[in-house]
Amino acid sequence: MKTDVLVVGAGPAGIKAALTADRAGADVILIDESVFLGGQLRSQTQYFSNLPKNIDSGLGIEIYNELENQLNNSNITVFTNHTMVGSFKNGNIGVSNGEKVLEIQSKKNILAPGAQEEALIFPGWTLPGVMTAGAAQILVNREFVRPGNEAIMVGSNIFALEVALLLQQCGVSVKAIIEEQLNIQCKDTSKLGEIGNIPIFTSSRIKAARGRGKVEQVIIETPNGENELYVDLICVANGFRPILEPFEILNCEFTYKKGLGGWIPKYDNRFLTGNPNCYVAGNAAGITDLGPILLTGEIAAWNALGEIGLVSSIVVDKKIKNLWVELSRLEDEYVFKERLNLINNTSAIKY
Amino acid sequence: MKKFDVIIIGSGVVGSSIAYHLSEYKEHEILLIDKDFPLSGTSGSTQAWVWVHTKVPSWYGELSLYSAELYPILEKKIGDVEYNRTGGIAPFFNEAEREKAYRLAEKQAEVGIDIKVLTKDEVLEMEPYLSSKIAGATFSKLDGTVNPFRLVELYVKAARKNGVKTSYYNRVLDIVKSGNGYQVKTERGTFLTTKLILAGGPWSKDLGELLGVHIPIKQVRGQIIITEPLQPFLKYTIGGIRQTVNGEVLIGYSKEEVGYDRRTTLDVIQQTAKMAIDFIPALAEANIVRTFAGIRVMPLDELPILGQIPGLPGAFIAAMHSGITLSPIVGTLMAELLTEGETSLDITRYSLSRF
Repeated sequence: MKTDVLVVGAGPAGIKAALTADRAGADVILIDESVFLGGQLRSQTQYFSNLPKNIDSGLGIEIYNELENQLNNSNITVFTNHTMVGSFKNGNIGVSNGEKVLEIQSKKNILAPGAQEEALIFPGWTLPGVMTAGAAQILVNREFVRPGNEAIMVGSNIFALEVALLLQQCGVSVKAIIEEQLNIQCKDTSKLGEIGNIPIFTSSRIKAARGRGKVEQVIIETPNGENELYVDLICVANGFRPILEPFEILNCEFTYKKGLGGWIPKYDNRFLTGNPNCYVAGNAAGITDLGPILLTGEIAAWNALGEIGLVSSIVVDKKIKNLWVELSRLEDEYVFKERLNLINNTSAIKY
Repeated sequence: MKKFDVIIIGSGVVGSSIAYHLSEYKEHEILLIDKDFPLSGTSGSTQAWVWVHTKVPSWYGELSLYSAELYPILEKKIGDVEYNRTGGIAPFFNEAEREKAYRLAEKQAEVGIDIKVLTKDEVLEMEPYLSSKIAGATFSKLDGTVNPFRLVELYVKAARKNGVKTSYYNRVLDIVKSGNGYQVKTERGTFLTTKLILAGGPWSKDLGELLGVHIPIKQVRGQIIITEPLQPFLKYTIGGIRQTVNGEVLIGYSKEEVGYDRRTTLDVIQQTAKMAIDFIPALAEANIVRTFAGIRVMPLDELPILGQIPGLPGAFIAAMHSGITLSPIVGTLMAELLTEGETSLDITRYSLSRF
């Protein structure tokens, strides 16, 4: 199977990259290992406003619906339930639905596998009832299952607070938010107002979870001593880290950038990795917010289009310049600085 | 500068076994160095057979036999390494190969390796899931498998208990002859030693270069498939295929010279899967959960390189393809050589000087 652009991962970054390439006239194949498109975005009911110019603010699911709408009106070939399982010696990529392996020969690949949540390890962390905040969100928004009745949230970043609010909205009593650091991590003051009366314990951590076959009790250590709470749900929002396997398969180089989520593939200002046929987009290029995620997909796609020769370099350069300006405007200052830092150190990649 | 009696470079199955066996004498100050950590290289990416019966020439088969015989004793000393003498089946697919099988059985019998040449029906009775396309097989009770992770870990643990010092994540940068011994320059400082053992597996070639010695080995990549856990259905270790205790089937046949590249490629994985299905048709239904590759050592004549490095007193080498099978005997012999100056089995055939 031949194509101009293969996009791996149909979250917001992958979809945006695919749409951008499709509109410029490229043949595009978009694959995702899930039976659903949209990655986590389609399970998100929080409101996003800090978005690129051409995208309206809205709930995550609304933004996804609009992207899906655009996908349906495109010529993109979409394979859901297909996982990238390896590469052939000639560089072609193998994707499989568990039955058959399709060999895809593409001129350029855009890898947008996203990120995975970091677990937190404490005595009792494997008991049923301990889950990541993202898992709780999927249970509620996609599966319509309430994950528990009485919960605590570990972590106080914006995602932790959003999921805590979501749990409250569907009748879960959130008894505490536990933050290891001195201060609450979420910088959005309006979110803090919304969580209202949930007690927040800073400089605190989980000592252990206990229960027979499931979580029944949690012990937290606070500066004022130990606290025992009776809960059946412990949500952990311990941050995200980029998914690296596809980049390993394709022989990309890696580097460590704490501010971008730890180990990530090296890339330059075109989002081109150490493999000259592979671009990176989305959270895999550094953990960030929805607006920047969408922009990185677009930047990667324009550069791929330029390299293939479907768009002139003058147009590409202009597009990219504008997109980078927008990225600098939308992205968290520290994350953007780390990104620039990575790119400046990466110009030395030899092709 | 810290001084040792013996420095062993490489903490894979071979280096760790030598360290342990040498430490049993309690006569040497020993340092075991690795550029990464035990099992990060070849020893951690193997199918881990303890394989004897098809090893030729027969004197090499004999060395493998002795090593397999040492495993039960080793387990008593260092702990359970999950050595499992399953018996080994090497199928053949046409009658012409039966003659060869008889010659192999005859030759190996001279050194005490008992091989049965089986008819198709006999093989299928023993191992019903094998393909009915096979013509027959050679079989020996001597072959088996081991858990390489437990093996290397327990070698290192026992060696440490005996006082061996370890230095991991520490690459050797240079080796310089110095007086009666060697200066080993590493990322974490320089050490002096009287005796030096190169046990770097496929990386031994680079270590040899530091000493100005050519080690005639190739790096060979082997790609391996792991299936989902399946109910126990394979009783024996079969050419290229084994089922582990927890039900996964490990499959691997490939040999490629690609340097140190440890990635897997779909071409080879697909060929490997096809071959496995030729042997065991039921595997067509199994899901693959993971693939991995290891870089193996292959001496140019495929036989172990063992003993003193000619022209460099106090410097030794132990490089071989079948490190898992041979580690108990190689550890024993190298410990004898370094302590007593001679070995209980003649190893002159394995000298580097043969090349």
